[in-house]
Amino acid sequence: MQTTAVETPAALRNIETALSRASTDIPALTPLLTAFGPLLAARARLREAAPGWTGPALVIDAERFGQGAFVLAQTEVGGGFEDMSAHLTGAARTLLPIMEQSFPAIAAELKLLGAAIASGALTPKALASAGFGDAAAVPGVSEQTMAFAASELVRPFVERQAQDLAAQVKGLPWPQTCCPVCGGAPNMSVLRRVQEDGEFLQAHGGRRFLRCSSCSTEWTHKRVSCPGCGCEEPDELLVLRDPARVHERADACKRCKAFVLCLDSGELAEVPDPDVAALTMLPLEIQAKQQGFAPLAEHPWSSL
Amino acid sequence: MPKAILIDTTKCTACRGCQVGCKEWKNYPPVATKQRGTHQNPPDLGPYNVKLVRFSEHMESDGTVKWYFFPDACRHCLDAPCKSGASLEDSIIQDKETGAVIYTEKTAKENFEAIKSSCPYDIPRLDPKTKRIVKCDMCIDRVRANLLPMCVKSCAMGAMTFGERSDILKLAATRLVAVQKNNPKAQLCDMENVSIIYLVADAPGKYHKYAVADASDSPGYMTRKEMLAGVFAPLRKATKQLQG
Repeated sequence: MQTTAVETPAALRNIETALSRASTDIPALTPLLTAFGPLLAARARLREAAPGWTGPALVIDAERFGQGAFVLAQTEVGGGFEDMSAHLTGAARTLLPIMEQSFPAIAAELKLLGAAIASGALTPKALASAGFGDAAAVPGVSEQTMAFAASELVRPFVERQAQDLAAQVKGLPWPQTCCPVCGGAPNMSVLRRVQEDGEFLQAHGGRRFLRCSSCSTEWTHKRVSCPGCGCEEPDELLVLRDPARVHERADACKRCKAFVLCLDSGELAEVPDPDVAALTMLPLEIQAKQQGFAPLAEHPWSSL
Repeated sequence: MPKAILIDTTKCTACRGCQVGCKEWKNYPPVATKQRGTHQNPPDLGPYNVKLVRFSEHMESDGTVKWYFFPDACRHCLDAPCKSGASLEDSIIQDKETGAVIYTEKTAKENFEAIKSSCPYDIPRLDPKTKRIVKCDMCIDRVRANLLPMCVKSCAMGAMTFGERSDILKLAATRLVAVQKNNPKAQLCDMENVSIIYLVADAPGKYHKYAVADASDSPGYMTRKEMLAGVFAPLRKATKQLQG
């Protein structure tokens, strides 16, 4: 398995460049890019400053790992990411005002949520739990807004910890379709041209990396196969794409009716940030859904 | 930010994928040629071949023959002598974003010999049909669309790397150290002055007469290049000092 570690300062530049290019290339998506772009950039900044995995290096059983026991399933601390609740109040001060500006329809709810966090009415622990899907009630804040905001708040810390954990299993075989760090499902894939210092011919198409919807870890996976059911029959696998944007596609499977977005970056001079790339693929995502396919995992903007 | 390409000739197998890819992308017509006892074909750069893999053979002192491959094309000089040699303002321009030196349709009104003789790498060619002076444009159309230059994309061996100049310089330095372990004469050709940087494992003159602007190890020529290299070096130094 190969994983890619994201170095945040470069990632931040990449986000800004990709947003700018996407805005120029697809003016119709500018409102969407303007809404989510600042959030993606702010998240990248938080990720840069986040502490990462602070505990001792995990003892990974390579044999169990090879059989599908992902990293967090092997920890003795409860099988989850380390508690990041101490950082969430600060993250809320940074991210919530940006989200209020980007999403005026839920700005009032976000303001109430910010006030609840600041006053301690919503404890950092409860906020962290909400970020991982538990229910948390704040008067005036809908369940959907709470889930969205909380997951965005914990994500930079989750992603930063995942970077450290992925480094511990780099090089170990991982043929699974779930994330090798947290077991999450992929919501994106990228064909990357990996520069290898070998003496042999280099593949032009690039290796396929699946990207975790929970912690953004990327891992290599078979190119021609459905990550949903493992189907490798050419007649069952379908590629949906817009002829005007040939590097973006949705890899769909007729057998299990699942799809995953894919950025074919083999020919690109600069590979855009995968989140921005996925954002620009929203029309493709909608098209796939209209044809009866379901995503393996969604992006925050998928249900728009 | 300026771009650059590292061409690592130690990885090149002279498959000529870059040469063919370039010609395909530019939609250049075929040219008549003939067998001259070498794989270098056509024999030289031309108006419809702005990229050419050069082949040369040299006998070593121990009696073995070494084969050298050199995918030749415009170096996209940082201070392009051809630009300075142009009489019209917009006939030769330098793209600010990438650093690519681009010949426009106005080159048809330029003095070809003057432009050609100003190039220390013998790159410009005249299109007899359009009268335009032509050369590699770093696939500026592709690069602006966030696509790799065609030669880089088609390089099966991964001998060519395109990217930000600062990144390419770092990569070039790393590769040079690795190659020098077995090839002490290895060097990066005119790295300070050009955007297309060649890593060669042996004396540049063995690869191509005009592999570097100052190929003093290649006997019997280079006076023009030596002169240009000498003329522009102080200018570059002064510019750098002004820019801090």
